Amino acid sequence: MRLSPNLGPMLVVALVALALYWPLMYLANIPAAQRALDTGAALPCKTAVECATQLRSPVLPSPQQLWNGFGNLMFPLNSPNAIPLNAAVTALETIVGLLLAALLGFFFAIGMVVSRAFERALLPWIVASQTVPIIAIAPMLVVLLGQYGVQGWLPKAIIAAYIAFFPITIGLAKGLKSPDPLALDLMKTYNAGNWQTYLKLRFPASVPYLFTAFKVSMTAALIGAIVAEISTISFQGIGKMLAENSRASDVVAMWVIMLSSALLGILLVALVGWLERLLTPWRQGGRAAPVVRRAGPAPRGEVG
Amino acid sequence: MTLPSKRVGSRDGLGWLLLGLGFGLLGWFIATWWNQTEPASSTLKLLIGLGFVLAVWGLAGVARQFANTANPLVGFTPAALTLLVVLVTAEALLRAYQVPAGLIPTPSRVLATLVGVREVLLQDAFQTVVLEAMVGYLIGCSLGVLTALLVSRYTFLERGLLPYATLFSSIPIVALAPVLVKMIGIDWPSKAVIVAITVFFPVVVNTFRGLTEVHPLSLELMRSYAAAELQQYRWLRLPNALPFIFNALKLGTTLAMIGAIVGEFFGANGQGLGFRIQIEAGRFGFDIVWSAIIVASLIGIAWYNLVAWLERRLTGWHVSFR
Repeated sequence: MRLSPNLGPMLVVALVALALYWPLMYLANIPAAQRALDTGAALPCKTAVECATQLRSPVLPSPQQLWNGFGNLMFPLNSPNAIPLNAAVTALETIVGLLLAALLGFFFAIGMVVSRAFERALLPWIVASQTVPIIAIAPMLVVLLGQYGVQGWLPKAIIAAYIAFFPITIGLAKGLKSPDPLALDLMKTYNAGNWQTYLKLRFPASVPYLFTAFKVSMTAALIGAIVAEISTISFQGIGKMLAENSRASDVVAMWVIMLSSALLGILLVALVGWLERLLTPWRQGGRAAPVVRRAGPAPRGEVG
Repeated sequence: MTLPSKRVGSRDGLGWLLLGLGFGLLGWFIATWWNQTEPASSTLKLLIGLGFVLAVWGLAGVARQFANTANPLVGFTPAALTLLVVLVTAEALLRAYQVPAGLIPTPSRVLATLVGVREVLLQDAFQTVVLEAMVGYLIGCSLGVLTALLVSRYTFLERGLLPYATLFSSIPIVALAPVLVKMIGIDWPSKAVIVAITVFFPVVVNTFRGLTEVHPLSLELMRSYAAAELQQYRWLRLPNALPFIFNALKLGTTLAMIGAIVGEFFGANGQGLGFRIQIEAGRFGFDIVWSAIIVASLIGIAWYNLVAWLERRLTGWHVSFR
């Protein structure tokens, strides 16, 4: 198992965090409980310390409250108001969004590597597109797509793709540019055509970068899908649950949804990692992909 | 290293000529349709398509001439022209199809609105960018670098904390936003905290990589010099990490803007770009929404470039800039 040397320290850290949770929870909730008692709210407890675990909208919910919240929001599994069904909808939007983003990213990245003119004309706007708050475009996009009969989860997937294509574009462009100049020269001496250079050298070289980018993009796409659900009219999804409970000021439910969406994010990224191991078995069981390995020794200097 | 352009002369002129023709066609249509209230005929719509194709074709030729320009301001010309082509085409298409302003406002209308409401938007921008995004960004980045230093120094932390950091970076931060806003309050500090948490994890992960992915030979050299640990960090690990740190810092600028704006959707004190966008989108005041988007994007681009400029100043020695 790869994780085994980390397991001990990780457990220690987790235990420390858990041990710190109770004092933190009391510290955060006691002032709120005191205020609630002072205003004469009807609470089933006498002292502030006792009330700290029973507030209706706690700053930090107590473990008991979280546990009950999970119980309320998880079952029945197929209920339209429970997390499993909504999480599945959001996951579907995210994955379709990622696939759309991959298509778009491929197009831009190859354009940028093939033609510097293309890069000059578009790269500033690709960067700029990421500074545009998607949430503002989301309602417009939904209305627009609705006119052409595209409704439901697809607009959310498109919004997810909009926010997820950037890391794929940049990662793939970097990967395609990553082959050693010597290797490129070698392809030239073999009289390889452009197409062959891409197929045999550049694409294989870009695979590790691509999977790193997919992991980042998966998170981005999930954020996009959730934001899209929040900012448009939606009947299903994690974002809809968040917006609903935010309006209802159900703090415990919000914590539960937050933790579940964190779990969903971890699961989706793990899915990419699993795919990576499956598709690139030659890379030592899918060890951590190289980040932008810009640091390090200059390759040419070493070869002489 | 700039290669002399192979295509000089008539080809260059052709690009500008096609671009001018395209702009002429689109501009002529916009001028004639300025005060019309019914959709244009299909012949005219075809003409718009022709204008767009000509402009893009010309643009491709023009952009080729700028491909190897070193000066960033001159090199920006093709990008500026791209924007112009898109805006003029959008204006023409929206007018040709008479799309209602409540759905998509024309660029000219957005520009007029932007000038009209600039004072409100500047106040919003101060709240969102300076108080929320920048404060959160600075806190998150400095904490991230410090954490990475600690984690790279102590193997126990590396094994116990770093896996969590990578795990946490796959968490959708937006889901945090409503909880934090409820927890801390609707004023700007809650958004600063969201931003700080958003930028923290990429900075930790990247800085750690930079601090530890040092060439073994360099480490050997430091050891043969009997360098103290502090010296090793000062002269080897930190310089080596700088490019990685700047990567995270650049990524963080956009994350910070998005975090601050999304945070405002869950509660704001009546100011801020995100608040403005949400309120006006609800009223179908999309010209103001787009104006706010433009302000947010301009600030985001300026901020990104500021960090990129700092990067060039501080890591100019690096391979990627040579």
